[in-house]
Formats: sequence, structure tokens, C-alpha cells
Amino acid sequence: MNDDLLTRNFFDLFHMPVRYEMDIDQLQQEYRSLAQAVHPDKYASAGDQERRISMQQTSWINKAYQTLKNPVERAAYLLQMKNIDINLENETTMDAAFLMQQMELRELLEDVRTQADPLATLDTELKNVKAGMQELASGFSEAYQADRLEDAREALRKMQFMQKAHKEIDTLTAKIEDELF
Amino acid sequence: MALLQLSEPGQSTAPHQHRLAVGIDLGTTNSLVATVRSGEAATLPDSQGHHSVPSVVRYSKDRICVGHAAAEHSITDPKNTIVSVKRFMGRGVDDLQVLGKKLPYDFVATDSAVPRIHTAHGDVSATEVSSEILKYMKARAVSALGDELMGAVITVPAYFDDAQRQATKDAARLADINVLRLLNEPTAAAVAYGLDSGQEGVIAIYDLGGGTFDISILRLNKGVFEVLATGGDSALGGDDFDHKIAEWILQQAGVDAATTELDASTVRLLMQQARAAKEALSSVEQVEINVSNTSLNWQGSLSRAQMNDLLDALIKQTILACRRTLRDADVVIENIQQVVMVGGSTRVLRVREKVAEFFACEPLVSIDPDKVVAVGAALQADVLAGNKPGEEMLLLDIIPLSLGLETMGGLVEKIIHRNTPIPVAKAQDFTTYKDGQTAMAIHVVQGERDLVTDCRSLARFDLCGFPPHVAGAARIRVTFQIDADGLLMVSAREQNSGVEASVDVRPSYGLSDNEIETMLRDSMAHAEDDMQTRSLREQQVEGERVLAALDAALTADGKTLLSADERATIDVARAELINMNSKDDADAIKAAIKQVEASCEAFVARRMNSSIKQAMRGHSIDEYATHHEE
Repeated sequence: MNDDLLTRNFFDLFHMPVRYEMDIDQLQQEYRSLAQAVHPDKYASAGDQERRISMQQTSWINKAYQTLKNPVERAAYLLQMKNIDINLENETTMDAAFLMQQMELRELLEDVRTQADPLATLDTELKNVKAGMQELASGFSEAYQADRLEDAREALRKMQFMQKAHKEIDTLTAKIEDELF
Repeated sequence: MALLQLSEPGQSTAPHQHRLAVGIDLGTTNSLVATVRSGEAATLPDSQGHHSVPSVVRYSKDRICVGHAAAEHSITDPKNTIVSVKRFMGRGVDDLQVLGKKLPYDFVATDSAVPRIHTAHGDVSATEVSSEILKYMKARAVSALGDELMGAVITVPAYFDDAQRQATKDAARLADINVLRLLNEPTAAAVAYGLDSGQEGVIAIYDLGGGTFDISILRLNKGVFEVLATGGDSALGGDDFDHKIAEWILQQAGVDAATTELDASTVRLLMQQARAAKEALSSVEQVEINVSNTSLNWQGSLSRAQMNDLLDALIKQTILACRRTLRDADVVIENIQQVVMVGGSTRVLRVREKVAEFFACEPLVSIDPDKVVAVGAALQADVLAGNKPGEEMLLLDIIPLSLGLETMGGLVEKIIHRNTPIPVAKAQDFTTYKDGQTAMAIHVVQGERDLVTDCRSLARFDLCGFPPHVAGAARIRVTFQIDADGLLMVSAREQNSGVEASVDVRPSYGLSDNEIETMLRDSMAHAEDDMQTRSLREQQVEGERVLAALDAALTADGKTLLSADERATIDVARAELINMNSKDDADAIKAAIKQVEASCEAFVARRMNSSIKQAMRGHSIDEYATHHEE
């Protein structure tokens, strides 16, 4: 029924080129102008039917926006568009050096309270993780552009690890800040 | 601008008629109602000039009274005089115990998880008490404006969970108010300050009310308010400040609060004195306190510095929440351009000091913090009612707490994460764990913790009657849909069989639809005839509205978007509705409206899509043409 909007891929929806590199400012602008057109508040005094459709369409746009905004979800979505299985969590084969690095980071986080300045340590690690993520993301972008999809998939998997690490550092920082503050 | 007007069918029905819509701030301590008249939003006073209505309801044997008249009895008749009922909204019996032993009410255990308070007027739930306040606000608006209300925007703390929002909406239904939107209080405040006009950037809204604390981080851009993250504590507010001071008074009076059982009216007296002291200390350095009745007798003084010591730990909790929320929003303090103060408790000087210190900027306090939320809600209500064609203002809210399902082992699988923009829909597949399983219990929870027991239980329902499979082979898709009010609908369906089993959602802490129906009927039982007349009139108005909207749509797009067959089907349904609308059978009108809507399904969808296309096209042309204003 709503083929036009609800079957459009997320990139087309926002008039963005199908690629990993993303102009976030422009994405935001496109999101806002689409939301202006379909949001349920624009149909507050319309009939139930229009309101229901408006809710479905806005839900779809929100989902698309959330997906494209997030560097990891955007990468996963690009691979999904190429019908690549992105359910990577149960795979065991992986770059040994990368895994080692991740384990070291986990150990460091576990003992961070014993450090002289735990917050400073966490801050440094967060910067490392962000830098690592940047690097992986450009690796993904390059591989995807060159249609080396296996490599792209590997990069995505590492990015997922990095995202988890990022979250853990955030949570830990918040906890320690609460204790110290 | 033409693009936007195309996409707003709501306006086409009666472009020149001003519709009365109000904003209601349903507060813990006080409530206010505001509306827009001649372009100005203002709160509505009673005949004595009071704008704020104490959120107090007194139940006597033969009458219910609300506001100042009720508040006068809070000390003499504490068990029948319900104050701060907002703290009980959407809460279960267990939660109430956590809220403090000092509550003077007699709670009654019921079959459902919703606690009821025993009063001289019968047992009442928090939702019913709130609905009395809403009825009072509605009556004030109707008498001030001299006409029926088209609808209202009712504000809720951003941090309210689904059960609390649902309870608020139920209260509005009981008060017979058409809810245009449940709006988050901080967002309403941002609207009141008009921070969208000419400003782009990130702002923080610090909202400390009587019983709740919210912190929201918003990004503003050309009329669009995008909430980035929200945090807070739905059980922390000015009431807790009063408690701290009251505890201090007891301590000074040599009363051991842990072992002494104080009677209800002493507790009220104490709280009142504590509150008066707190308010006085916003303008003087020291205040005299005098608490005396038959069971307690103490006189003494409290200085501002002493009070600050008592409150600092609570204020610190709010600052910690600010810090966490900034992190969630991925924003650093330097990015925050303004801090808006909302809620009566931000009058406490120490609060302003600490907030200014944390955000390193002077907070905005120019609009009365008690009125700012109602004013913002009124502005939004005016837009939603269609009184401001071409208005670009749009409020994009998020969900404050994650929503998930219970899985094996009492763990939570999050389906929608907090700070996700709403409305939103998300589906997730689950499977069975036993061979031959034909039913599945679905338990919906809200919260950030991993264990079900640490989260709030929202609803339980069973998906029954799908064909047996071996363990792990069934594919149950559970879909969460959150609407623009932040309210959740959950549905479940077994995918392999294609059989859609029906689901019955039982709200854990809310009122079921049946209960609400019953209450509505009870309250109107003696006015049966009135009700029928009213319901017929309502259907006729609805019928007229549908016809007007349809005709406008047909004139605009009938030729381009409809085939001859489709047009014929619509015309038949339209003729039937015109016919029925002139008769006096409400149900027949309702059926005819349904018929029109069914015949227009595809047409409506096409129209909406075409307006979106217009918006997209318009926008991208704009993109390439060097960003000049539309």
C-alpha cells in the first residue's frame, strides 16, 4: 500500500548516495524535512487512517535515520543490501592479533580502579577505541567500494567489537565518576 | 511553504475556524491550564486570580473537591485528602512502599496490581484521582473560553515510563478530554522559551518539580526540536527536599523517626512547615520554624547554609544524572548553549548555584518556572489543533527507557533501546524451547538492567494455539510499536504457520479498557439520555469532519490519483455517509464513516506519499541550489 516510502532503501529515502561515507549534517537535514512531512503531529486532527499511516511512515523514517547515523549499523545495512549474512556473533575464526588486543583491553578495564588515575586511563582508552574505529571504518569503506565484501565483513565484525568496548568504557567511566564526584 | 500545506490535510477541513485547544501541566504539587488567545499563550486563572491549582483532591462522603478547597483539609482530613498523586501514577503496591512509610493513606489491596486508596467516597485509584484534577482544569478552561474544547496537550515528565504515560492518558479519557498529544515537560519548556526561533544549537532543560526530576538535551534547528537524550529520576523532587527538612526538624525536636509512629495530621503539619521554610529561604538567610500540635512541639531556626547541607546530597544526584545524560547525547558541556530551568524546585537558590556551576553558564529563569510548561503545552496544542497553518514547529521526542522482553532465565532482551526517536517500530524473532510447545508467555518490561526483576513489568500476555514444532523451530515474531506519545503496543505472531494468534495485553499497573469503560459508564449512569444525545452529536460532527476532509482531498487530488472504479466506490460510500449523517442513529453513522475510510485506504496512502515526494523533491532541489531559505 505504501510501497513508495516503506519499500525504499534507507539511502534513497534520504537522497543519500549508497556508500559508506556519510555527510551526517546533510542526513540530519533530510531527516528533519521528511519528518516535517509525515510526523503524526502534522495529522493530529486527521482521521485514524491517516494517523496510522503517518505513524508507520515516521517509524520507518526513524529506523532509517538511526541505522544510517550509526557507523556500525550503517556498515551492516550496506552488507545486508548485498545479501551478505551479517550474523557474525557466533563465528570463531578471527584475526588473532585483534582478539589479543581486545582481551588486553578487557583486562585493563577490569583492573582500572587500581590505576593511579582511573579516569585518565579510561579517557586514553576511549581515544584509542575511537581511533581504532575510525581506521576500521575507512577499511570497511574501501573494501566495500572495491566490492571486496569478505574483507568488508571482517571489518564490520571488528567494528562491532569496538562498539562494545566503547560502551563498556562509557559505562565504567560513568560509574567511577559517580563514585568520585 | 506550499509543500507543507499539501501535507496537512487537517487544515483543509475548516481553515477559518479557530479551534479551542489547551495545554495542561498536570503537576505533582500544582497543575495549570493555558491556552493561546490572539497569538499569546497564557495560563488561565480562577475568579480569585489563582493560576496554579494545588494537585489535591478531597473525597468526602457526598462530594469530591479539587484544588485550594481540598488543600485546606490536607491537615485536618489527611486520609481523604489525596496530595501528590502523580507519584502513584502507573505504580504498583510494591512501589508505593518504596516511596516511603510516611504516606498517610489507607491502601486497599485489589485483584489487579493497581493499588486503591480508601476514602470516605469509596476506594479510588491514582488514575481516578488525576482525572478529577483534569476535569477541574477542563472546567476552568471551558468557563474561561466559553466554548467546548477540541482537545488538550497534557504534559508528562520525560522520564515517565510506559505505565505512567498510559495511566495519564487513561485519566484524560476518564475526564473526557481528547488528548492531542502527551508532551514531555522539558520539551514544552523549550517551546515556551521560543528557543527555536533564530537559534541553532544544543540546549539543556533542567526540570525539577515536586516529585520528579528530568534532564533533557535538545538540538534545535529551524523550528525542529530534536530530543537527543533524556534522563532523570521519576521519584526525586521538591517533596524530597521537604522530607529532608522535616527529618531535620524531628531530629532537633529529639524525636526518633525510626521508632516513633507519628499520626497523619502531624506528618502533614511537619511537611507544610518544612516546605514553608524551604520557600522562605529562597529570599531570606534564616527562617524561624514553629511546629506545634498535641503530639509535637518544637520552635527553632534554620539557616540557608544549614538547609544547603541538608539538600546537597539530593542536588548532587540531579547533577550526576545531567552528566550521564550528556554522555548519552554524545555532547560535551562546552556544546551546551543554554540551560533552561523548569519546575518550582528550581527556585531553591542552591539548585541554581549548582546547575550554573556544572554547566558553566547562567541558567534561563525569565519565565515563571511554574508556568513555563503549561505555556509551552498551550503553544503546541494550538499548532496541533490546526490553528497555525504553515507552522514549521515540530517536536521530535525519544523513548526514555529501553523496552524489552523476558527471555529464559529471567533475563531481559532489549527490543528498543532508550533514546530512540519515536514513533518507532521494531520486530524481533523468538523461538520455543520445548518440543511440541504451542503457546508462549510474553512478558514486556521496561528498564536498563539485565534482570527482569530489576525492570518494570509493563504487560504480560500469551500467544496461544500455534502448531507444535520441535524445540527451536517455531518462529515467533514480536513487534513493538511506540506511538508519538511514547505509548507501546505489542503484538506477536507465529511466522511458520502464518496463523496469527490473538493477543490480549493485560497492563500490569494500568486500568484495563473494560475498567475504564465501566468507570465512564458509572460516572454517567444517571445521565444516560444526555450521553446518547451527546454520542449522536459527536458522531455527526465526526461525520461532517470526514466528509469535509474527503471533499477537500477529492478536489485536490481526485483526478490525478484515482481510477474511475476507485472513484465510483468512494462516491457510493460518501453518499451513504451523507444520508446517515442526517439521521439519528450514532452506530449507523459510525459504520458509514468506517465504510468511507475503507474505500479511501489506497487514496489516502497515495496522497500522503505524493506529499512526501513533494517534500523530498522540494528539499533536494533546495540542496543543490546553494541552501537559500525556502
